[in-house]
Amino acid sequence: MSDKITNWTRSDDAMVEGAIRRGASRRDLMKMLLASGVALSAGGAVFGRATSALAATPKSGGALKAAGWSSSTADTLDPAKASLSTDYVRCCAFYNRLTIIDKDGVTHMELAESIESKDAQTWTVKLKTGVTFHDGKDLTADDVIFSLQRHLDKATGSKVAKIAAQMQSFKAVDKTTVEITLVAPNADLPTILAMHHFMIVQNGTTDFSKGIGTGAFKREVFEPGVRSVGLRNTSYFKDGPHVDSFEYFAISDDNARVNALLSGDIHLAATINPRSLRMFEGVDGFTLSKTTSGNYTNLNIRLDQGFGAKKEFVEGMKYLVNREQIVASALRGLGVVGNDQPISPANFFHNADLKPKAFDPDKAKFLFDKAGVLGETIPVIASEAANASVDMAMMIQAAGAEIGLKLDVQRVPSDGYWDNYWLKAPIHFGNINPRPTLDILFSLLYSSDAPWNESQYKSPKFDKMLLEARASLDQDKRRQLYAEMQVMVADEAGTIIPAYLSNVDATTSKLKGLEPSPLGGQMGYAFAENVWFDA
Amino acid sequence: MNKRILSLAANRLAIALITLVIVSFAVFFATTLLPGDTATILLGQSATPEAVAGLRTAMHLDDPAILRFLHWLMGLAQGDLGTSYANNMPVAALIGGRFVNTLKLAAITAAIAVPLALTLGITAAMWRGSVYDRAVTILTIGIISVPEFMIATSAVLIFAVYLKWLPALSFTNEVSTFYDILRVYAMPVLTLTFVVSAQMIRMTRAAVVETLSTPYVEMALLKGASRPRLVLRHALPNALGPIVNAVALSLSYLLGGVIIVETIFNYPGIAKLMVDAVATRDLPLIQTCAMIFCLGYLTLITLADILAILSNPRLR
Amino acid sequence: MKRPPANTIAVLGTKFRGRVGYRVNPVGLIGLAIIVAWTVVALTAPLIIPHSVGEIVDFDYFGPMSRTLWLGSDYLGRDMLSRILMGARYTVGISLAAVAIACTCGVVLGMTAAVTGGWVDTILSRLLDALNSIPSKLFGLVVVAAVGSSIPVLILTLSVIYIPGAYRFARALAVNVNTMDFVLVARIRGESLFYLIRAEILPNILGPVLADFGLRFVFIVLLLSGLSFLGLGVQPPYADWGALVRENIGGLPYGAPAVIVPSLAIASLTISVNLFIDNLPAKIRDKEEH
Repeated sequence: MSDKITNWTRSDDAMVEGAIRRGASRRDLMKMLLASGVALSAGGAVFGRATSALAATPKSGGALKAAGWSSSTADTLDPAKASLSTDYVRCCAFYNRLTIIDKDGVTHMELAESIESKDAQTWTVKLKTGVTFHDGKDLTADDVIFSLQRHLDKATGSKVAKIAAQMQSFKAVDKTTVEITLVAPNADLPTILAMHHFMIVQNGTTDFSKGIGTGAFKREVFEPGVRSVGLRNTSYFKDGPHVDSFEYFAISDDNARVNALLSGDIHLAATINPRSLRMFEGVDGFTLSKTTSGNYTNLNIRLDQGFGAKKEFVEGMKYLVNREQIVASALRGLGVVGNDQPISPANFFHNADLKPKAFDPDKAKFLFDKAGVLGETIPVIASEAANASVDMAMMIQAAGAEIGLKLDVQRVPSDGYWDNYWLKAPIHFGNINPRPTLDILFSLLYSSDAPWNESQYKSPKFDKMLLEARASLDQDKRRQLYAEMQVMVADEAGTIIPAYLSNVDATTSKLKGLEPSPLGGQMGYAFAENVWFDA
Repeated sequence: MNKRILSLAANRLAIALITLVIVSFAVFFATTLLPGDTATILLGQSATPEAVAGLRTAMHLDDPAILRFLHWLMGLAQGDLGTSYANNMPVAALIGGRFVNTLKLAAITAAIAVPLALTLGITAAMWRGSVYDRAVTILTIGIISVPEFMIATSAVLIFAVYLKWLPALSFTNEVSTFYDILRVYAMPVLTLTFVVSAQMIRMTRAAVVETLSTPYVEMALLKGASRPRLVLRHALPNALGPIVNAVALSLSYLLGGVIIVETIFNYPGIAKLMVDAVATRDLPLIQTCAMIFCLGYLTLITLADILAILSNPRLR
Repeated sequence: MKRPPANTIAVLGTKFRGRVGYRVNPVGLIGLAIIVAWTVVALTAPLIIPHSVGEIVDFDYFGPMSRTLWLGSDYLGRDMLSRILMGARYTVGISLAAVAIACTCGVVLGMTAAVTGGWVDTILSRLLDALNSIPSKLFGLVVVAAVGSSIPVLILTLSVIYIPGAYRFARALAVNVNTMDFVLVARIRGESLFYLIRAEILPNILGPVLADFGLRFVFIVLLLSGLSFLGLGVQPPYADWGALVRENIGGLPYGAPAVIVPSLAIASLTISVNLFIDNLPAKIRDKEEH
């Protein structure tokens, strides 16, 4: 196989034609292809060109122009409020975190020199010395306390208020040492501090549009919903950045973003539509970089009302979802088949023994019959707001139609979707972004008191295991507990996770240094300080 | 006659103010009818009831919406457009440069589309039923039938990706020479010209054709006037009312309707601003944009009405 | 669409004229034929589609035209022919209904305003101006939030969005006619408002009003897909033609039939409607006056 990234090439047609001549119907053929994984392996062709250039020495200079996919007047340089990938990218350019997660998922120190604890409850953070903000002031313990404490203030509107709530008190031991006390022991704190929202801002900041941080670029222009420009921070505490300036904006139209890259207007186009990959076939000078970080779109069936109250219906739906077909047709191979639990194969604790349920319409039909739902009209809410959900809904609908299950797919506006339908409608789609730890994922989504308990799954046993795993510093014991919990979620909860989605960014081949990251596309949104131009 | 026009203009000015207030209330009620408010939408997926309540207090969104709206209206009367909820910046600062961009794009498009459309419409009417007329009709409808996003995307594919003659994005901040203006505006203006011309061409043609069959034009024909003379001297003045109305309706699209062009060419104008504002329920920003669109529309149709009256001796 | 030879059309034209009493010229007749053909497709679509519209029949996406899939496959690998045939139902049906409502309301109100004048005219005009000033996206979202989504709601929403335009244009035309001597004579005769607009005004503005109808039809066909994407109206797996173009726009760089063919379908329908209107017998007006 060549090192071109593609989902299906015309050269595969010959093989298919042969099969047709042997009498295979189109449907048989699809089954055959999906079963043998041909389409999948074609989709999973080597995405390695981006990493091959890593050995080269970075060169300095050049004006970097990159485009994300979403931006609005609500764009912000306040890391606590960051919500779109565009915000993350800008915050990564202007600020730093205490810790950072590398491409293998290992936590490293960034602004912190060390983070240590004896009991996982009281943590001591030592800061690096000689780090300065863009306005020349030194980074101190007060800045760190201010940055973390503001998440607890409701007026901040922090996206991670729930996670931050476990940080009970802060104490500045000296100018560069902070002591953080948690409500209860949590071994994951260093990893949690690597979340984008916990970036360090200057003590007392009220106007965040100035973007004064310790980051690789100094804010030159920031127009919400239009663009931002950052200039190289010459007194940056790390090596780099390599480029002289960094301009970032969003082009929300998928085709327009690819076209802007192809025409040379920009150097990086984030999150390429899988169907645009063919545009790069046979065109030299462009590199694609793939990340599967655990983002997923799921079908949620609330167990506390309507059809979801019937156990057989929920189980039947899990067999009605053709996961391979969703990956092959809806995602064009840019995804990994999921097994109805939120921990992706990219995660250290992923339970590989838990196999995805096979597509089995007969079994589904048997279960639906038992539940007595055949012949009834069952509404399913989908929206563009949840990536690929309308396509998935239509596939499940078509599969249902074959066995007499009538699913009424309702496409609703993405405007206000999370507020009106998500968590509320009896059967609806959700979209969950990767979180750094299992504990966060499970306590956000599956514990009985979880704020986003998508299927209203309640299990005292699960809750107990969650607490047990959180406090334990014994990795083997945690792994065992987490593995069992994944099985429980897959079998008992009403959340069907058919696939983990991959993200593909496209760049001009002149741009070097882009690596995949478990935190998401665009090198975990932090590409700007790491890339360089190879002339 | 001048007096009549003056009184009409004064009258219209008064009514325009009332219309603006009506629209403003309508937009306000429409916005409050939409589910979700700024606080819930800014918090998005992470919105819990306590978080929403806290943010609402911090953003001073606790007052009843109608009070906030009336407050904004009072401010507007004093020339203060208010402060955006979403990012706490003055609305005037958010709109400023983008409004100028919208006006520039609209002006350039109008300067090309209006003369082109009127010429095509009038000549088609002159030779009604000819191959030329049919060709104009088929081309006009054919082009308008292609969705705007497809025209824009095709243009980018051809001129930017394959031929590499033009940039795919329209960065207005990089414009310094006339040549730059040509390059940056070529594709957005082309797309919009396709979109807005059809209505003007078709309506001009229809209005002129209709007038050609009125008795006094038939009279002129009997007197032996030539066809072009017949159309330009006799039919056109009498068809001017409907024509200027069609032009006004078409041009009003250039203020608030260019969202697709703004998105595909990454051209920062106020149509995208309005869409963003609706998405975040940013009332001061929604209202200000709506006022701008409404004011633009009223100006255009008032001009059209005045021209219509001037053109018809019996209406004067 | 197959083009019948010219002389057949001429004969058809004569026959048509004989029966209805109007003379329709060949170009108009071609337009009519295409409209009728699409209407027949719309009515019979569920019976003639080769595949179900939601079924994935091709492992490839944006597949080319082939013997098995005549119009190729769409972005998910579904049969384009089936989707276009079914799409005719929505595009032809919804658009015609919406444009008929919009133009009827707009034109009747416009003529009434022009003939009555005074404050009726002022109030109607300003109210509809105000309506036209509300951004259609906001309007669509409010409708979805307030009344939910269904085909009748979609039709009414489309109509409401396009009434002000139809009104403004009809009023501008009617105001001109209203100043003519024959209208004055009728007024002096003491004719009713209904008689005035039906017998005196309408026949004299019919041409441009019909042209406006044709154009508004095009606008509605295109807006339809936009509103569907807001969640108002046609629900998946079904899609109108505009929505087919939109969801398959990614196939444009590859020249995929999935994006080209629905565009051609839209163009064939809208051009036909407008050609038919342009070539309507000029004598309709004279007939009306008797």
